[in-house]
Amino acid sequence: MAKMTLAKALNAGLRKAMEEDPKVLLMGEDIGRLGGVFRITDGLQKDFGEDRVIDSPLAESGIVGTAVGLALRGYRPVVEIQFDGFVYPAYDQIVSQVAKMHYRSQGRSPMPIVIRIPFGGGIGAVEHHSESPEAQFAHTPGLKVVACSNPVDAYWMIQQAIAAPDPVIFLEPKRQYHADKAEVDVAATPEPLFTSRLARRGTDLTLLAYGPTVKTALAAAEAAATEGKSVEVIDLRTLSPLDLGPVVESVRRTGRAVVCHEAHVNLGMGAEVAARITEECFYSLEAPVLRVGGFDTPYPPARAEEHFLPDLDRVLDAVDRSLAW
Amino acid sequence: MVNEFKLPDVGEGLTEAEIVAWHVQVGDTVKINDIICEIETAKSVVELPSPYAGVVSALLVPEGETVAVGTPIIRIGEAGQGPAESGQGPAESGHDAAEEQPLTLVGSGPKEAALVRRPRKVSSGAQAAHMQTQAAFEPGLASPQVEAAGAPADPTGISPDPTGISPDPAGMPADSGRAAVLAKPPVRKLAKDLGVDLRSITPSRPDGVITRAEVEAAASARPDGAAEATTPTPAATSLGEREWREPIKGVRKMMGQAMVESAFTLPHVSIWKTVDVTATTELVERLKSHRDFRDQRVSPLLIVAKACLLALRRTPIINSVWDESAQEIVFKRYVNLGIAAATPRGLVVPNVKGADALALADLAAAIGGLVATARDGKTPPADLAGGTFTITNVGPFGMEAGTPIINPGESAILCFGAIERRPWVVGSGAEERIEPREVCTLALSFDHRHIDGAAGSRFLADVAAVLEDPATALLF
Amino acid sequence: MSELFGPSPSTASPDLVQLLTPEGQRVDHPEYRFAVPDADEADVVRGFYRDMVLTRRIDVEATALQRHGELGIWAQLLGQEAAQVGAGRALRPQDFVFPTYREHGVAWCRGIDPLRLLGLFRGVDQGGWDPKENNFGLYTIVIGAQTLHATGYAMGMQRDGVVGTGDPTRDAAVVAHFGDGASSQGDVNESFVFAASYNAPVVFFCQNNQWAISEPFERQSRIPLYKRAEGFGFPGVRVDGNDVLATYAVMETALQRAREGGGPTLVEAYTYRMGAHTTTDDPTRYRLSDEVETWKLKDPIARVEAYLRRGGLASDDFFSDVEAEAEELGAHLREGCKALPDPDPVALFDNVYAETTAELAAQREGYAAYLASFEGVA
Repeated sequence: MAKMTLAKALNAGLRKAMEEDPKVLLMGEDIGRLGGVFRITDGLQKDFGEDRVIDSPLAESGIVGTAVGLALRGYRPVVEIQFDGFVYPAYDQIVSQVAKMHYRSQGRSPMPIVIRIPFGGGIGAVEHHSESPEAQFAHTPGLKVVACSNPVDAYWMIQQAIAAPDPVIFLEPKRQYHADKAEVDVAATPEPLFTSRLARRGTDLTLLAYGPTVKTALAAAEAAATEGKSVEVIDLRTLSPLDLGPVVESVRRTGRAVVCHEAHVNLGMGAEVAARITEECFYSLEAPVLRVGGFDTPYPPARAEEHFLPDLDRVLDAVDRSLAW
Repeated sequence: MVNEFKLPDVGEGLTEAEIVAWHVQVGDTVKINDIICEIETAKSVVELPSPYAGVVSALLVPEGETVAVGTPIIRIGEAGQGPAESGQGPAESGHDAAEEQPLTLVGSGPKEAALVRRPRKVSSGAQAAHMQTQAAFEPGLASPQVEAAGAPADPTGISPDPTGISPDPAGMPADSGRAAVLAKPPVRKLAKDLGVDLRSITPSRPDGVITRAEVEAAASARPDGAAEATTPTPAATSLGEREWREPIKGVRKMMGQAMVESAFTLPHVSIWKTVDVTATTELVERLKSHRDFRDQRVSPLLIVAKACLLALRRTPIINSVWDESAQEIVFKRYVNLGIAAATPRGLVVPNVKGADALALADLAAAIGGLVATARDGKTPPADLAGGTFTITNVGPFGMEAGTPIINPGESAILCFGAIERRPWVVGSGAEERIEPREVCTLALSFDHRHIDGAAGSRFLADVAAVLEDPATALLF
Repeated sequence: MSELFGPSPSTASPDLVQLLTPEGQRVDHPEYRFAVPDADEADVVRGFYRDMVLTRRIDVEATALQRHGELGIWAQLLGQEAAQVGAGRALRPQDFVFPTYREHGVAWCRGIDPLRLLGLFRGVDQGGWDPKENNFGLYTIVIGAQTLHATGYAMGMQRDGVVGTGDPTRDAAVVAHFGDGASSQGDVNESFVFAASYNAPVVFFCQNNQWAISEPFERQSRIPLYKRAEGFGFPGVRVDGNDVLATYAVMETALQRAREGGGPTLVEAYTYRMGAHTTTDDPTRYRLSDEVETWKLKDPIARVEAYLRRGGLASDDFFSDVEAEAEELGAHLREGCKALPDPDPVALFDNVYAETTAELAAQREGYAAYLASFEGVA
């Protein structure tokens, strides 16, 4: 057992994956000698060599496009996009090539590629370093999209994503990288990758979150308890495919749901989740499914980001509104 | 064998093209891929190669003509075949072939959007079973005990389940131990507005979902004038025992509470009058053929209602209510006339708002509408609230009269029974004789706290007078 | 007029490698020789002729099929046969090719039944062959995207230890095909960066056919394409793309360099798109017919035929045999095309993932039930 931050857990998970499969390669800007701007790949080039931990030219499309070629040659590339806001140059390779290759080749050309993307805000950064583009990828058939929220999940999910035969967009909440530590039992058997996780039991309302907002949701539930409101929290973990079985079971019990994410509310993941919950739980709903998230503005300057990001107060406001219905 | 070449879509969604020039004539021998013509599309001029080898037997579209994609443009027979009979030159346009059969698009291009639905198979299996199950529990299947504008029944006794359908208890998730109830959001809101606790309702749908009708029935069971509902309740226990039990819940419970409240709060007094209503029945017949009543159901109930409305003018205290908390009698200048209706879900007393202001034909329409809606189980809450006086009819059961219980919130209720032919003394003096007449008994229950015998009697006498001689109505 | 269309390509030959003139005359070049040490040279050249004639037939037949409405669209390679056959025949079995959507001649050289090419254009599939079977990737329609794939694949070859071993049966390289238009795409330039940075064994083969739909080459670049390579740090060479011998020779050299670990080369095959960009295009709207006429005089097949006949290297029987073979191939394509099965509607849901999701499986089932609910369906 070891207490690790999210960053350390990812590092350990990457290391384990590379030890177990010589076909696993890492590629990205500054990931080798520097160990990554967030140190996620720290020490890996030293141990696995430059051929397997590759510092790439500054070209996101090139990073993903060459990963396609490497995958066609039988490798399992794990590429890093340095920041969420910089994934867009690679967007065409991701949605037109990576996502479609297995389908158009009728299964002959699988793409076991992992595209790691630090995402979300709350770190006081300049523009383009705090985005939440996950809905765009979840909306693309052929891609799978997951988001870890804590060190334990991170350690296991990165390994599972690498082992998966399909391309995985692997979202990492950068504000959590060096934050809370947790005990990671490396001998445990993890839950399957594409599953959601019950993070806290409750009876009055189901609160859904993923990535950076899981922590916010748990804090909100704790505060709600002091007001006599029992909030159940579920970490969605997988955005495509969604694992809503446990969510449906929960909302059928509680009758109320709130979804919380940093991404813009308009057409964010919450919209899909709300639509499905409404269909599956219609007869159980005491209130409509509510969403709390970023406003429909570009991400603001750092000094105003606390107004943009959904925090405990805004989540509890939504909880109250739901309960009042 | 003659091959026909239809104009293809040559460029991603083109729908028509003009034949600019033929490169072949009838009788020419062509090889595969020989250019046979040039066509002009919205995008460009394109040469068309022949898909067939053989002898051109017909050019179906003249140069300069524009045709739709899919139109046959040329016929090519196998080598050795002569050209088709003379006269089939370019003058023969493609329209005849087009009319023989529907144009089919060859190759890519936008397809015609469908304008009608393709026929589906008759639903089978699970779908039909679901529909059957649903139908079995639809209230409409229970034999209705309501006749529109005729004689709404008001059973005063215990009636066994009239439909004979005992829902399978195994199919009822009533007491599954779940804390959560199942109901659509609008139904939940209705329950909230009506103050109905969803948990007190036993759903009859097999999926356990509580319906709007059940909520309304639960709400309307509270203000009522008679005995238990006729809604089938969850099946009783085993047969063959000397006693069986049914739970007190839902509609039954609400009605019971209402009965108790009314019967044991208001001191009820009932007075009776038996009336020769022959003139009323004759009037009813004449009204049925009156043009104002062409679309209405006319029945003695209508005349009874009108008689009450008139009588209430002379004795308004009948239309009042004792307000205990304010220590005041509340007199009303309007009459919301309640008509008791027995429905498969239970007793419902919807009222016609402002009935006193309605002309007879309008009153007939309003009463007819109320009763029909009640029979369908669709009475809105607003119709159930605010009544000031109620009429109940025990005639359909063959009863002469009864001792009706006053609707809470009101002070009097009129019950009238079956109209039957009875021997009646008519005439006087030397003319006095016995004749069969249409006879009916009226019974008025009233709240004796503020209504005394004189007032009650005057009201009932006035009603009787109108029914005996409708011309009396002119006096009010 | 010339301002609208840009300057015509010069009729005087630009600086390029040529070993066989348009008239069918063998000529020398200081750096490149056409030589096939392990085979009979005349045999090889007759083989090139046959390859080009059959390639052209595939193209003509498919174009006709489109005009017949059997294909939705076809990308014609008319005029580019030598570039593709020359490049295609320089390959070793272990080399890998990333085509665009026009490399029907290279597909032919790789042994892919041309019928399999038609599925994409007919709309029944999105690539009808297994890339691993013939080491030939699926057609890529996004312009230039495949050059990055090629570079990544080459980087994989390096890690597999099949570059620079000295073993000719083992050492391998990648060919990345693209056109003059694609050379402007970011992905193509990024692939040059990556290939140079990692010294990847990839030959960038650009068929400069002078036109990117309606835009002349001058709109893509102010300098000859092959000179760009120098800016990225690797060699570039321009070859007469209508000369199969020169193309073969240049590609052989470039491929060998890559296989030996010498890194990338940019080969610009200077040729001409005799037909339209695709069957939906109308070149009469943007280029002059005299330009096309000029290039007809440089026809790649005619010069080889002239060379073979003049040198007595092929009999009349040879030519008629090839013609007959072309007829057969035409019939094969015509009949085979019409017989290509439409995709099974429920199979639409297959292969989205290697491991399908519950949601997709439910959609598939639901759609199957929906289809079965219509009258007239078993």
